[in-house]
Amino acid sequence: MIREFNLIDVYYLLLAARWTLALTGIAFLGGGLVGMIVAVMRVSPFAPLRLASTLFVNVVQGIPLLAWLFVFFFGLPILAGVRISPWTAAIAAYAIYAGAFLGEIWRGCLQAIPRQQWEAGAALALSFGEQLYYIIVPQAIRIAVPPTVGFLVQLIKNTSLAAVIGFVELTREGQLTNAATYQPFTVYIVVAAIYFAMCFPLTQWSRRLERTLRVAR
Amino acid sequence: MSLVELDGVVKRFGDLTVLDRVDLRIEPREIIAVIGRSGSGKSTMLRCINGLEPIQEGRILFDGITVNDPITDLRKLRQRVGIVFQSYNLFPHLSVERNITLAPRVVKGMKDDAARRLAESALARVGLADKIDAYPDELSGGQQQRVAIARSLAMQPQLMLFDEITSALDPELTGEVLKVLEQVAREGMTMMLVTHEIGFARRVATRLIFMHQGRIWEQGRANEVLESPRTPELATFLEAVLH
Repeated sequence: MIREFNLIDVYYLLLAARWTLALTGIAFLGGGLVGMIVAVMRVSPFAPLRLASTLFVNVVQGIPLLAWLFVFFFGLPILAGVRISPWTAAIAAYAIYAGAFLGEIWRGCLQAIPRQQWEAGAALALSFGEQLYYIIVPQAIRIAVPPTVGFLVQLIKNTSLAAVIGFVELTREGQLTNAATYQPFTVYIVVAAIYFAMCFPLTQWSRRLERTLRVAR
Repeated sequence: MSLVELDGVVKRFGDLTVLDRVDLRIEPREIIAVIGRSGSGKSTMLRCINGLEPIQEGRILFDGITVNDPITDLRKLRQRVGIVFQSYNLFPHLSVERNITLAPRVVKGMKDDAARRLAESALARVGLADKIDAYPDELSGGQQQRVAIARSLAMQPQLMLFDEITSALDPELTGEVLKVLEQVAREGMTMMLVTHEIGFARRVATRLIFMHQGRIWEQGRANEVLESPRTPELATFLEAVLH
């Protein structure tokens, strides 16, 4: 039975967009945490840490996000006999996926700071961690803003993959609405508009942040 | 006991031997100028003394501590051995005051008031008291280098290493930095400086070292070494730099 597409559908799409935002939030938090650890390991003076983090990044980047969602949601119960909730599976998969990518982005930003800055810190008796915290990171943050926000925008759109483990987020809700109304053009225009409304302010905010960070050195 | 001892120090970068069995003693209050062609190992020798470069053979002692021993706490050592670089390497995101006080605050746990006073007195020594709240990009090259000297002095080191610190400056700015160096020398600091300023070396250094092919080729009192070189290598080098 096909019904009309009306305002109540827009309302449902907006409700579903909350899941998109929630998934993005946890993915970014989890990924940020993992990413920080990965980035620091990648520039650390200890070869085993560098090696382990490089391996992690290569493995994660070589496997699609969809596969990670499957591994955690369907794979773990079979392999380890533990059933995990869609939330736990999503948190784990997105933290690993975003962690590897953010780790690589941030490593690049840390390495963009001239080696002499590390050396000047070392010559003043600062430890590796202190050089990182007081000298390198404050300078790297400014260059890290645009690529990080760029990735965040990607992440918002990639949350649609969580539909495969049962999340009815924006894209999935769009599919369901389309199935009921059979008005794909209207439905997906609205879906696209909602995605745009989430992503556009982010890029604007990123530009502003870049400017303020430049002024504050 | 000498302040610094180098015994048969060998430093290689891959197949390239940069320091070839270097022996050296530095006594307190000595001011040693090191000259030589680029690639002769002079900067590398300096960097080895505070452990910025590892060595492959031999031994480096600072005040009885083995610098090249893996268990040596290089952080402790570097509080006592300051180094100033050719490219200043100030921290661009920090004010002059913060540049100077970062290490005293973080490493020595100095409080705000004491740190501010430390920055003031360190800047007074290099003649930049009015620049305490400036940022590095607001300073000329010579001023940045003087701040870098003040930053190093603020750690109250027993030995200061200067690595071609005027090479990136034009002659006018070189003068103001050398003046500061002379002042530091007069205060009795033990110093070792790699330099191309032969006139300055002659005036200020208590000893002059000529390095060639990774070795200390000639050394002695600055005047004597410069007036009557014993080796053709030094003679050619002096001819090249003095004309």
